[in-house]
Amino acid sequence: MKRIPLSRCTSHLQAAPSPRRPSCLYAAQRSIAARSNRIQARFQATVSIPNDGELEVELPEEPSIVARQPAKPKTRQSRWPTPLEKLPSPHPSAAERSVKLHALRSRLSLPQRFPLQTLARSLVHPSADPNPAFNNASLSILGRHLLGYYTTEWLMCNYPRLPMAVVFAAVDAYIGPKALATVASEWGIEAAAEPGGEVDPGLLQFMRIQSGGELPASLRRQAPWSWNVTTTHKIMKTDEFGSDNAAPGPHSLNSTPVPMEEAAQSFVRALVGSLHLQLGAPLVKRFFRDHFTSRHLDIGTLFDFRTPTRDLSKLCAREGFEAPVARLVSETGRLSRHPVFVVGVYSGKDKLGEGAGSSLDEARTRAAAAALKAWYLYRPLEVTVPSSTEGALDTSKWRPNMIDCGEVIV
Amino acid sequence: MSASKPILRTCLSTRQPSLLPKVQCRHESTARRHKKLLALPEAPSYTPSRSEPSLIFNPPSSVPSVYHTPLKFLPKDDKRRQMYNAALQYSNTTALRRQSSPVAAPGTPLSTSSYLPPKPSSSLPAPVRTPYEKKYHLDESQIAEIRKLRLGDPDKWTRVKLAEKFGCSQFFVGMVVKVPEKAARISAEHAEAREKWGKRRREAREERERRKVLWGRDL
Repeated sequence: MKRIPLSRCTSHLQAAPSPRRPSCLYAAQRSIAARSNRIQARFQATVSIPNDGELEVELPEEPSIVARQPAKPKTRQSRWPTPLEKLPSPHPSAAERSVKLHALRSRLSLPQRFPLQTLARSLVHPSADPNPAFNNASLSILGRHLLGYYTTEWLMCNYPRLPMAVVFAAVDAYIGPKALATVASEWGIEAAAEPGGEVDPGLLQFMRIQSGGELPASLRRQAPWSWNVTTTHKIMKTDEFGSDNAAPGPHSLNSTPVPMEEAAQSFVRALVGSLHLQLGAPLVKRFFRDHFTSRHLDIGTLFDFRTPTRDLSKLCAREGFEAPVARLVSETGRLSRHPVFVVGVYSGKDKLGEGAGSSLDEARTRAAAAALKAWYLYRPLEVTVPSSTEGALDTSKWRPNMIDCGEVIV
Repeated sequence: MSASKPILRTCLSTRQPSLLPKVQCRHESTARRHKKLLALPEAPSYTPSRSEPSLIFNPPSSVPSVYHTPLKFLPKDDKRRQMYNAALQYSNTTALRRQSSPVAAPGTPLSTSSYLPPKPSSSLPAPVRTPYEKKYHLDESQIAEIRKLRLGDPDKWTRVKLAEKFGCSQFFVGMVVKVPEKAARISAEHAEAREKWGKRRREAREERERRKVLWGRDL
């Protein structure tokens, strides 16, 4: 199978070139070169821009001239009749001059061919700039789905026996809103006090919630998608975290004040989406491995068993092992105030798990829980995730992944 | 290991004349003998066989990691099965090869016999609760009898007494026949007793319930 460049596949979905203002300078420069050669130019905007009149106010009048001479600050005032303060977000031409953006690109080890204008655009939340050609709404939708795909695929291939509830919790811990906001703060993303055209484009642009003000209606707790929620429903109908409520979509947050966490997570998602569009899937996969799966998560702490001893005997019956027997491995201070019992769970001659507790019941329950965890946390030695072979001609490295029959249902 | 052997030993005081042959018993009565006994070798992990610097791995005893899947839980085609087998064989052979009489090791009391230590037994530790087999021996007529007795006089024929009489578990008696009136009465009595609890006892019981939930979360 031959790899087709994504831009060629989706160019018909991308927006028609806007005559008023280039969506980013990089595209504008290319379009100038292309126009001279009488070739149809492709633009970076992924959303078609509605031709409504209200946008005219905030746009400069001669964008082509601006694009041609972006680095001349002397003529800027005369060329731009609209002052910078009137723009909702920094002009794309300011990205090239921003020290913060250069530093961020180097800090994330992104190649030089990744344009700073795109990086600047991914920092603009729709609450700052409602124009879909200049905010990161569309990029963050793409990035969210890419992140969800890579994370679930990595989890399912590496831990094929995980119960679905634990998979949801682990996905939330890796790429949930809180985790993404933490990632953004570790990358050194700082927020602008107030978005605007004169602000440094290296700052996160979003409209803050006034202190003491109410949370906007779209961010408040809403009625769940469905009251009768089963695991199957969560898999089929809800998002990758199995949450009961739909998180507000990026396009619905236009000009709505949002918390910083929401803006930071939209930046990380938009960055992944723009990396996919600009640099291609292999680099995104490497980026994902370096920044997301490299984070340590102890999946063993995500389990919560209610009746571990019962679950374990059901599991042994299902798999055809001998019934589990709890045996007292060692004990100390049985008649004292702080006894310690060490109990192992055995199936036949094999030890399945071990637990320590201050009573025999506690040690037995803990041992059964440890045995169940040992079953669920099985990890195959050689794993090839499905996305590693996409677009590859040689499929001899592919090893089919293990698929387990599922968790124990009591 | 020889280090774990008791240094002080009680000498059998034989008042009565014994028919057993007299055996010479050398104690650590002198300072020199005692010093020699206490000169213990270092733990094997701290005495590398090679002279060049090496890593010392001697972790304290701890709960086994849940990420190490037991042999029984591995799928049939997992490579770790062969690796575990090879490791077991290697450790067995090396243990047998290294086995020597305790009198050959330093720090052994002088009175130790020169027999080889016994082989480790393969018997498992004692079960916490006596294992039982489910018998499934009650038929329809006996179950009807249980129902009749329990519904006739629930205070006399409690679950415990019926379980003893028919050789089944109390849980099974509860499955077969339910007496909701008695259950409601008993639970009302318990609630009344709980009403009399003071603050300390109530908090202690609630705390215990909360700790019990953490058992399944391994916290």
